[in-house]
Amino acid sequence: MPRVVHSLDLFASESIEASKIERHPVRGRPQLWIGLCLPNLSLDCIAAARQPGPAVVAEVLQGQHYVIASNREARDAGIEPGIKLRTATTLAASLQVFEREPQRECASLESLASWAQRFTSIVSVEPCEGLLLEVAGSLKLFGGLDAIKTELRQELVRRTHAFRLCAAPTATAALWLARAGCADVASWPELAGSLGALPLRVTSWPEAAQALLRDIGVKTIGDCARLPRDGFARRVGNAYLRELDRAFGREVELKAEFAAPESWSTKVELFEDSVDSALFLEVVEQMLDELTAELRGRQAQIRSFEIAFEHLRRPPTVEKFELLEPVHERERLLSLIKDRIERSVLPVPAIALCFRSGVLLPLTLKDTDLFEKQPLEELVRVLLERLRERFGQAAVYGLRAVEEHRPERAWAKWAGLEGRLRKQERSERQGRPLWLLPSPVPLSSVEVRRASLKLTSGPERIESGWWDECDVGRDYYTAKNAHGQKLWVFRDHRTRSWYLHGLFG
Amino acid sequence: MEWGDSNTRVWRGKGASVARAVLHTGFHELDNHLPGGGWPLGAIIEIFVDGYGVGELALLMPALKALTSVDPTKPKKWVAWVAPPFVPYAPALRQHGVNIDRLLMVHPSRSDASRLWAIEQIVRSGSSAGVLAWVAAADDVMLRRLQLAAEDQACWTLLFRPVSARQQRSPAALRLKLSRNEAATRIEIIKCRGGRPGVVDVGLDPKFGESMMEASC
Repeated sequence: MPRVVHSLDLFASESIEASKIERHPVRGRPQLWIGLCLPNLSLDCIAAARQPGPAVVAEVLQGQHYVIASNREARDAGIEPGIKLRTATTLAASLQVFEREPQRECASLESLASWAQRFTSIVSVEPCEGLLLEVAGSLKLFGGLDAIKTELRQELVRRTHAFRLCAAPTATAALWLARAGCADVASWPELAGSLGALPLRVTSWPEAAQALLRDIGVKTIGDCARLPRDGFARRVGNAYLRELDRAFGREVELKAEFAAPESWSTKVELFEDSVDSALFLEVVEQMLDELTAELRGRQAQIRSFEIAFEHLRRPPTVEKFELLEPVHERERLLSLIKDRIERSVLPVPAIALCFRSGVLLPLTLKDTDLFEKQPLEELVRVLLERLRERFGQAAVYGLRAVEEHRPERAWAKWAGLEGRLRKQERSERQGRPLWLLPSPVPLSSVEVRRASLKLTSGPERIESGWWDECDVGRDYYTAKNAHGQKLWVFRDHRTRSWYLHGLFG
Repeated sequence: MEWGDSNTRVWRGKGASVARAVLHTGFHELDNHLPGGGWPLGAIIEIFVDGYGVGELALLMPALKALTSVDPTKPKKWVAWVAPPFVPYAPALRQHGVNIDRLLMVHPSRSDASRLWAIEQIVRSGSSAGVLAWVAAADDVMLRRLQLAAEDQACWTLLFRPVSARQQRSPAALRLKLSRNEAATRIEIIKCRGGRPGVVDVGLDPKFGESMMEASC
């Protein structure tokens, strides 16, 4: 029998180093997988089950309730996963029974996977069970397998998961050995021995297949491997034969790589409804601890995020944050949030806080020169981008003077601000007002009464534009009204009515 | 036109040196009233006007000309206009010697909150030498934020506000009320950090007021 190792690994095997990893016989590349099993995952995900007293998670299998996970107190009472729930209730009178929460299981595995990506880019999630990490390329960087395992263990303890870890040259073997709680295996000859001694139940083959094998006297994986291949394929199934091959390294394994989500979010439920900003800040600080750990692990930064305050029977209050530039520092984020939380008042008490980041952006570290500041062009670019993003392209522009008689056409918007400065056209006209009205306003409809208007200079005749059907014929005057405002007015030649066209600001 | 330095007109307290950057207004009467002899840089300035067209822009033209002038030794910074009530008329600006290449127009949505946000972004970005902004309501906290940002970047930050807002407490270094007084523009200095309140009449447009004639219609 292989040596059984406790999760705290009292019999630490000698450290496996990068140079000792051998090549995969088929794939031709060195590889080392860490199999990580969380046997109590379904129980770990239920917050209520953390209270003292025996607790189990039960699931219906073929019309019967079976225990699939049990806590320490339940195990002390003899309740092991796999027994019927009816039996379990007779073993412990005060047994708490919970249903599985598959979504939470999934979420906590994904969160762990995304954390584990700090060690290797090849992380694969085994649904409802654990993770597989390919670490052959990372051993040197992290200082050997033991260093990686130690960090994994610390994180798993922090997350209060019960776990089993095992390293092996193939993913299937690592998973099987982890399920059985065996010691690490580094070399191929050792692998055959360790795998051979494993009982059949470490495979996740259906009960029918396992029963068939048991009936012909096959108890271990090694027994399976000794059976004639064609017979095994015909009677048990080709899929299982191939799984055996993958475990022994006779076939290349393909594992789906875990892709971390593009954004990050978390939710904290408050113990009681609150409008207390000090409490919110405490919660936010916890969230930021998690976020910054995540950002550090993924070498990422964020540019936008939102915090939603959830209320009872009301849509949540959402505070959105858009930053000037991507940020990964905890303190900068905290000061921003602090400002906002201290200023805003919630309409009703919140029951939970949600933090949702925008897309995680790759971390770009700037050269921080002691003396040189960021170039001005860059600052301008960032500013324009930001303003346009919020107010639209048309809301940000420059000015251009145009050589043209008609006053409303003597200026133009200039949108290409970032580009090279274009040469401005000359237009030297005297007596123009600093404010132009977007379009002339008929004077009778303006506050300014014509009776109180004094013309102070003029007229300046402007007649132009007969060629493009926007021709004007106007006499412009400078005028002053009773409020002391200096105006630029004109009289249209055709309609004989007066218009206000500008203000001498 | 050049950047003013702290000169003898600044009362320095007892031994405390107050070095303030200023931008000459271009009007001697006004310069004489302002500590340092010009517009304070790195502080917000509030200008209260009720009706436009009383010379509120003409008052700024010499300073704007100085800020936008092409000087190869200085970085080319922008002067942003946030939510101007009408079209700043390019030919007239050029007439006043303003380099319109360096002007940036920003039209945020109608709310004052988004205008203040825009102003803060512009000032903080460090890419602008000045901001002229038209804002009705602004709370004390927001003004303080702007004040800090302006201090940081030594930005010439002007807020045009309705006269009704003058009752509000404000961290602004300089608060002025403008009105037309015959041919001149009357500048009422309501608050002036390091100086004293007072009234100054500035003749912004010498030609104005001449040749009055009745509207012939």
